[in-house]
Amino acid sequence: MKKLLITLLCVSPSLLLAQGSQVNLQSPKSVGMGGAGSAYFIDESSIFYSPGALSKMSHNAVSVNGNGVMFKSAFQATGSSVVDHTKNQITPPFSVFATVGPKNTWWKAGIGIYTPYGGAVDWGTEWTGKYSLVSLSLRAIYIQPTVSVKLTDNFSIGGGFVYNIGSVDLQSAVPVYFQDGSSGLAELKGTGTGTGYNVGVHYNLNEEFAISMSYRSKVVTKLKDGDAKFTVPEAAQGTFPPDSKFSAELPLPSTFAVGVTFPISDKVKMAVDGTVINYDIYKELNFDYSGANTPDTHSPKNYTKAGSIKAGIEYLPSEKLQLRIGGGYIATPVSKDYVYPETPDNNRVLIAGGFTYKMNQKFDLTGSFAYQRILPREANNVDSHLSGTYTTNIYAPGIGLTYKF
Amino acid sequence: MNRRNLYIGVALAILSITACKPSLDEFTPSAGTKADFSKYIAIGNSLSAGFADGGLYLDGQKVAFPLLISEQLQKVGGGEFKSPFFSEEQSNGSGYIRLKALVNGQPVTEQVTDKLAYRSASPKLLTKFTDPINNLGVPGMRMDMAFAPGIGTAAGNMYFERLLPEGTPPTMNYFTYSTSQNHTFFTFSLGNNDVLGYATNGAVNEGPTTTLTSTALFNTLLNNYVTTLTAKGQKGVLATIPDVTSVPYFTTVTRQALLAAVNAASTTKVTDIYIATKMGPRAATDQDFFVLPFSSAGLLGVPNANKIPYGLHPLNPVEDKYVLDTKEAAEVVARVNDFNKSIKSIAASKGLAVADVNAFLTAVKNGIRIDGLSVSAKYITGNGFSLDGIHLTPIGNALMANVFIEAINKTYGAQVPRLNISDYRGVKLP
Repeated sequence: MKKLLITLLCVSPSLLLAQGSQVNLQSPKSVGMGGAGSAYFIDESSIFYSPGALSKMSHNAVSVNGNGVMFKSAFQATGSSVVDHTKNQITPPFSVFATVGPKNTWWKAGIGIYTPYGGAVDWGTEWTGKYSLVSLSLRAIYIQPTVSVKLTDNFSIGGGFVYNIGSVDLQSAVPVYFQDGSSGLAELKGTGTGTGYNVGVHYNLNEEFAISMSYRSKVVTKLKDGDAKFTVPEAAQGTFPPDSKFSAELPLPSTFAVGVTFPISDKVKMAVDGTVINYDIYKELNFDYSGANTPDTHSPKNYTKAGSIKAGIEYLPSEKLQLRIGGGYIATPVSKDYVYPETPDNNRVLIAGGFTYKMNQKFDLTGSFAYQRILPREANNVDSHLSGTYTTNIYAPGIGLTYKF
Repeated sequence: MNRRNLYIGVALAILSITACKPSLDEFTPSAGTKADFSKYIAIGNSLSAGFADGGLYLDGQKVAFPLLISEQLQKVGGGEFKSPFFSEEQSNGSGYIRLKALVNGQPVTEQVTDKLAYRSASPKLLTKFTDPINNLGVPGMRMDMAFAPGIGTAAGNMYFERLLPEGTPPTMNYFTYSTSQNHTFFTFSLGNNDVLGYATNGAVNEGPTTTLTSTALFNTLLNNYVTTLTAKGQKGVLATIPDVTSVPYFTTVTRQALLAAVNAASTTKVTDIYIATKMGPRAATDQDFFVLPFSSAGLLGVPNANKIPYGLHPLNPVEDKYVLDTKEAAEVVARVNDFNKSIKSIAASKGLAVADVNAFLTAVKNGIRIDGLSVSAKYITGNGFSLDGIHLTPIGNALMANVFIEAINKTYGAQVPRLNISDYRGVKLP
């Protein structure tokens, strides 16, 4: 496993997730059903998907999950025949979930470490929109200790505290020019922290039908004293001091999620999930620089509320194997006038599939593959006037190993 | 186990590279049916030639806006486009200025004097380039001068002389030269110097390069020119003439800036700069334009024989040639507007496209954003204008080419792709 992680890191030095929307890759089981299943799966990943369901787990488990997300965007400026592509890179969202507590009793505790937001995109230094963005790596690692309690046999609640460690690594071209004609470069690197919570309820009517509701709060992450490195000609260093500091604030939105599950037959189960993401708190992204002459940047984002609807089915051909398929539609929070190359977002369609193989009493191996297509859209950014059409394909294979005890 | 995980990593890496890239096909280049781009020629002055930083040199020629237009026309089947490039050995051409340093934000420039292309120092003559060319832009060329004899001789314009073979009769004028190239398409941008020469000299007429051409003469000559250029039904683009007061040459050195500089070095507070006008000396206002070279001339405040400081007293005012005063500016702007009316009307009568360079540079004066980049007419940092404050940077040339391309697409039903501005640079800094 260590070697695998190292290999992934070598392929992509930056650890990241997806863009203007959330990355729901916390559990490969759910991913295999298109992101649905918060009411259906009652396991250690409920710490994220449905904290209320956790106390209904009969056993304890630890799972480690990883993904290789390939985010491939293309851009064509309006009126131009040139198409720019992002560079190949893999970002590995991961998650670790673990539970503790006595079996078959009224409570359960656990901890989740996961990466619900983030993104990695590298357009290079030669593309049309290089003054808007060269590359961006955004990462949010949430650490969430959680407790869940059964109020009745059918009804349980749960909640957890969220501590976020966020980091940003952004590069963009600066329109000052060296003697060889190449442009300057700004590199911003910073980390910050924020806090929030995740609460939920889970109710099952009988062994068959269940409903889950959860609310994940916003987490405002403040970056202070980040490093701003400017590579510019000497004559421009008065404006862009090579070693500056910057501060910024990144609000990660709250989410309300509802999931239901019901059987279609003995061997086929279905789950449907819907979310509302309160992205409308993301009004602007400001970078304030320590250099007295360095112009601060204020990028209006004006995100709107977003949401998703996802559905999936699981088929149980044998005791040892579960097969899954699913799909979904994700409404973007990004308005047409505010599309930036770091979030070339639009409404997305998603298809996915996956399996779990019970290797023995103790170990489950789960695999998943999700494909998302961000629908093409022509956008004219009101701030930067970078105008053109974006489209994106996302491929996300994932794997997870669960140890039950 | 370790080896297997390595395989998985490698497999993922391969998948990453080979997984389908999204494709976009939002723009279908097309020449349309109304214009024939098989032989495009560019008629014009220094802007067409790629003049920049106070000189004509190879790097500037390579981003001359007609050449950029031709590269895009070639994407819809346009023909080859030749420019009279200086050789690599003589790549600095006429010589040009480069930025040596910024001292307290003030530019210090120096003249580039190596790799020049002169074959004679007096009179100044450049190494000839007499192969067939498409970019016929000649720095300094004016509408009135295009019809005058002798301009292509050793006593005339060295940039025109450079393009004519030895033994060309002195009667060969630019009009005849440029209209006998068997073109199928043209861009035409003459006329700037018919006002700019006068304006940059502070509206002081010191000879044929600094006279202000009359509107009547301009209209007649333009009509002749365009009638000849379209004699076989050829299509083309006529460019309007920029408002000369929209360029940094006139907007960088302001009264306020001069006063600030004087007061920074003086113990007694100075409140007025005195300028010579055709109506006698007076105190300058914020509506008077000082030309860019005045800042480096080092004259302000220097006492004369009577110990009167230059520019700070009515008895030793800033010379007329360094100032385009309010009245002169109004005269020049009115003339530009008259010329542009003439250009638009003749274009309309011949069914030709108009590239409204005037409207475009007026927009740049206030600052524009495109492709995520800000461009303005601010000297040096605005990135639109080169160090001479009149001619364009590569970014400025690319923007200009797009103005023409837009006009071509609109008038001739073509789909010529535009240039991406981020591919070009602004002012080089030390």
